[in-house]
Amino acid sequence: MSRGLKGLVEKVLSQGLCTSCGACLSLCPYLRSWQGRVVKVHDCSLEDGRCFAYCPRTEFNFDGIEKKGVHQPYQHAEIGSFRRVLMARAKDSTWRERAQSGGTVSALIDFAIRKKVIDAAILTLRDGDSSPKGQIVMDREDILNHAGSSYVSGPTLEALHRGPWEGEEKIGVVGLPCQVQAVSKMRASTLEKKTPIDKIRLMIGLFCTWALEDEPFRDFLKKRIGNWPALKLEITPPPERLLKIHTTGGLYIVPVDEIRPFIRKGCEVCSDMTAELADISAGTVEGIDGWNTVIVRSDQGEKLFKEAEAEGIIESQPLPMEHLNHLKEASLFKKERAVKNFRNIE
Amino acid sequence: MFDLKDPFNVIIGGVGGQGNVLASRILGEILIGQGYVITIGETYGASQRGGSVMSHLRISKKEPFSPLIPQGQCDLLIALEPVEALRILAPYGKPDVLTLLNTRPIHPIDVISGDATYPEVSKVIAKVEQLSLRVWVLNATEIALEMGDPIFSNIVMLGALSTIQVLPVERQAFEEVARDLLPSRSLMENLRAFDRGREMVKEIPSKKVPLA
Amino acid sequence: MRSIAQNTPGKVVLLMGNEAIARGALEAGVKVCAGYPGNPSSEIIGSLAEVANELGLHVEWSINEKVALEIAAGASFSGLRSLCAMKQNGLNVASDFLLNLNLTGCKAGLVIVVADDPAGISSSNEEDSRLFAKIGDLPLLEPAHFQEAKEMAREGFSISEALGLPVLIRSVTRVSHARGNVTLGELPHSNPKPAFDLAQPRLAFPPLPNHKVLHEKFKKARTMFETSSFNVYRGPEKPEVTIITSGSGYLYSCEAVFNLNAKERVGILKMGTTWPLPEEFLLKHLRRSDQFLFIEEVDPFLENNVKEVFAQHCMELGVKRFFGKANQMIPDVGELTPEIVTSALQALLAIPYTPGPEAYNRTASEALAEVVPPRALSFCAGCPHRATYWAIKTALALDGREGIVLGDIGCYSLGVGASGFFQMKTLHAMGSGVGLACGLGQLDRFGLDQPVIALCGDSTFYHAAMPALANATYNSANFLLLLLDNSATAMTGFQPHPGTGTTATGSPAPILDLQTLCQSLGAKVEVVDPFDIEGTIAAILKMVRMVKGVKALIFKRECALVSGRRQKKNYQVEIDPERCLGDSCGCNRLCTRVFKCPGLRWDPKKKKAQIDEAICNGCGVCVEICPASAIRREAQ
Ligand SMILES: Cc1cc2nc3c(=O)[nH]c(=O)nc-3n(C[C@H](O)[C@H](O)[C@H](O)COP(=O)(O)OP(=O)(O)OC[C@H]3O[C@@H](n4cnc5c(N)ncnc54)[C@H](O)[C@@H]3O)c2cc1C
Repeated sequence: MSRGLKGLVEKVLSQGLCTSCGACLSLCPYLRSWQGRVVKVHDCSLEDGRCFAYCPRTEFNFDGIEKKGVHQPYQHAEIGSFRRVLMARAKDSTWRERAQSGGTVSALIDFAIRKKVIDAAILTLRDGDSSPKGQIVMDREDILNHAGSSYVSGPTLEALHRGPWEGEEKIGVVGLPCQVQAVSKMRASTLEKKTPIDKIRLMIGLFCTWALEDEPFRDFLKKRIGNWPALKLEITPPPERLLKIHTTGGLYIVPVDEIRPFIRKGCEVCSDMTAELADISAGTVEGIDGWNTVIVRSDQGEKLFKEAEAEGIIESQPLPMEHLNHLKEASLFKKERAVKNFRNIE
Repeated sequence: MFDLKDPFNVIIGGVGGQGNVLASRILGEILIGQGYVITIGETYGASQRGGSVMSHLRISKKEPFSPLIPQGQCDLLIALEPVEALRILAPYGKPDVLTLLNTRPIHPIDVISGDATYPEVSKVIAKVEQLSLRVWVLNATEIALEMGDPIFSNIVMLGALSTIQVLPVERQAFEEVARDLLPSRSLMENLRAFDRGREMVKEIPSKKVPLA
Repeated sequence: MRSIAQNTPGKVVLLMGNEAIARGALEAGVKVCAGYPGNPSSEIIGSLAEVANELGLHVEWSINEKVALEIAAGASFSGLRSLCAMKQNGLNVASDFLLNLNLTGCKAGLVIVVADDPAGISSSNEEDSRLFAKIGDLPLLEPAHFQEAKEMAREGFSISEALGLPVLIRSVTRVSHARGNVTLGELPHSNPKPAFDLAQPRLAFPPLPNHKVLHEKFKKARTMFETSSFNVYRGPEKPEVTIITSGSGYLYSCEAVFNLNAKERVGILKMGTTWPLPEEFLLKHLRRSDQFLFIEEVDPFLENNVKEVFAQHCMELGVKRFFGKANQMIPDVGELTPEIVTSALQALLAIPYTPGPEAYNRTASEALAEVVPPRALSFCAGCPHRATYWAIKTALALDGREGIVLGDIGCYSLGVGASGFFQMKTLHAMGSGVGLACGLGQLDRFGLDQPVIALCGDSTFYHAAMPALANATYNSANFLLLLLDNSATAMTGFQPHPGTGTTATGSPAPILDLQTLCQSLGAKVEVVDPFDIEGTIAAILKMVRMVKGVKALIFKRECALVSGRRQKKNYQVEIDPERCLGDSCGCNRLCTRVFKCPGLRWDPKKKKAQIDEAICNGCGVCVEICPASAIRREAQ
């Protein structure tokens, strides 16, 4: 079996399992992305390729991935291994106003840069009409511009390979669980690396149940909201389950069921809801606006988070037990779903 | 002086863009000036685009022959590219064929792409030798490149032809034809190319008995 | 430079068949010549255009062959000798007018030369255009060699005038594109003043009486050809086998007889006037032998027509055996070769013959199989079409809906193969891609969800695609036209066309701007430079995604061979071996393995790409596609 582009096409692209994480892009000229789709443009004859090796949808073994950041054996628990789970938010309300939930992610990235833990971060830009895109970000204003969630997944990690990098910089990445997985696979890969993988010092993962396909969702939005630029999208928890679209032309509300057809097939085989291989993972707190559920996992993550708390950047509270249980349930549910769907594919 | 076999059959072969057609035309003009009846068959059109190209020259004192040489009847092969020599010799060669060879390869796209391999030039020359009575070689392309433009390699080859005493091709006659056929601004360079071919061509000393 | 206009009667010169035809026309005092380029006919008008100013002729590259023939007919109606030249496909285009012109006839000599391309060496099809003579009851001449090509062209004008009919001369590649000795005749000095006689209107309608008149003329032609010096018998009085041949078949037949040393046993009847056949003349020769072998390219035209004459007279002629395409002794497709004729004759005469000694042939074929790599056609180094197809391939892959590229014939037809990354999916007549797009562009209502993309060249656009584009607009077809504007009719030798700003004879001409034309025909138009690969990809994607209507994207970049004539390289291109990733992950030889420009080389030892400076034309496109920025260019 090919462990190169041919294999990637066979096992992932042609099966519709690609989540457009971007791990295979800007490595070579054979793969390109357009409108949120990763496309093979030319055939590559190599038997082993980084595209295949880095892809979170090719074979994946949590035990085998050396968790350079986490330094713990992988725990087959509902939400992976962690030091603590809590509720947190950015203290400064500027962050919260622009952020998706509690602004923890943006505030932590800004703090990490100021503390020189990292020099730059790879964030994801969702601007109006174009597909989400990985961007290299270095200052507060830019971090603010990137805050908020795009429920369409896009090739964020492409920016990691694209650069430009000057040489010695330390990099932080904010990404979906699949993207965190891809970065872990990059770290573990024995293939020759010409990519700046070793420069990654911080991985902040976002919780994710699923992401949407770019083009069909955009067409749907056009139909529903016309040409108003969407400022922010929110998904409310069950039983409500609504997609709230804040636009310059007002608020539009759509039942989540209507957008289900646009969920990426690749998300349905994903077993990772909480970005289990990240240094820190963050999501919403169901029913409590303006806060994040935060899972601190690695030493670096703990160190950064502690300092941020100490310097008054982040404020935190214990996560109520029922929320933790619910989180575990949801995570387990995703794992079960993945196993079931994977069987359907094989 | 020249007692040519009648008809005497010459193939000039190479790759599209090497100036094969012009070379055969110049040679034809030189010979027609000496009272020969010439027929030249040319491959044109699509084969200009990087494909194999051949011109067939029939030289007779009596009558026109067909524009294609029958297989196994080539008397002189002027190959502008090494493997093209073998491609032509396979159908058209015979044990006493004489071969004048430009040793500079032009890689076909299948070789560039890696779907096929180009043999060592020494190996090609050895095969050509095995299939020819006498072989003369020179790197006409290199000489032309030294002059600043690979376009001159066909003229370098004609210069080489003029010294090997196979066909009645004199520098004087070449100059007259060149004045007629070639743009006047490049006449001097073409004459120089012709002379460089005369200087640089070498016969490969042969030890073998021809393949019967 | 040597020209075909030297007035040196008796001088022997080396002329290409096409030049000989042109010279024959000059010796006949031709005044107006028109045609459309197409191999193997192009040099007829080409060489006449070179001497037009000197001799005071009107020579033009017309927009297509039908118009060219109408131009020639107009001159003939007005009393000026005229010539029209084209390839086989061209006669198809001109045939509508031709099959009206036969009914009205012509006045001054009108010669139509059609050069067929047996085996379709540089054509989309293989066709025997002699059949048009039969459809149109028109006199047909077939030159067998260069001298005859000249004589027939000259004589054709007199025949045409004697009959009041256009005369067809049918050549083939091995006559048109071969060179040989031609003895020049005199160039006349005549300056007839043209006038159209209003008392003699040229009206094809009503057809019936005209058709009757045509048949009268046809009978007259048959009688005339009974004594034509173009029909020659060469051989013994009573040969065992008589070869009946025409055109290129004649020299191959001579060659075969020579090869087999069979002069005493074989006769050759060379027919120069192959329609209508001179019956009495033929009967005389049919009486000579009991066995006949037909040698002709491509269809069994002579073969069938001679058999028809035989059938009329079989009671008198008795039993005869005919060999040729009907009994598969001669292949019924492709070009003739000396081998085909030799082996047929060898079989008939039971003469053993092998070309060359066994051992030699074996060694030679082994060497061929062992070391000689194939040499496929490819776009030239620096050809804009390679960049164009690269962009098309990328854009259609990104678009992801399996866009269908409907093409036609031109250099860009290599788009069907590796050099154009297998992008072109239909190939027929000139402009047919656009016509097909008019059809496929209606199928979305039936559920066709693949984008429809037509592709044609600049010269082709003027020639045959404009009506299709107008049709598309009128009937609301949905497609994207990719118009490859390389400012030349490149495939046939860079003839000018209405977009180039010069005429056939080098005079300045107004440019019919493609962008304006497409716009006025109702298309949304954009222009790109295919050497700007990313810009081109973006433009294709944008336009292929526009929902309804006719879109045209013009790829503007001059043919590399044309620009190469004017200036040397744009760039000096070099590859930095330190940066070249070679075959490792991240490149895997994109430039050589995938892009495949002949100006590149792959060094299998060093595992690096290289520039072949003898081939590279310095376009610099590989610099754009190199993922490692290892290829550098420096403006020259
Ligand atoms: C597709 C998707 C699905 C999600 N599903 C869930 C869920 O089921 N449950 C849950 O609790 N939380 C989910 N989240 C996480 C949630 O939306 C917030 O991102 C998270 O709570 C962090 O909030 P914050 O205010 O700290 O982030 P912010 O401060 O707003 O920062 C968000 C960061 O995420 C990055 N980002 C935004 N969109 C993307 C994207 N598509 N890909 C990669 N990076 C991106 C931005 O660059 C920004 O840096 C999802 C997020 C995404 C993008």
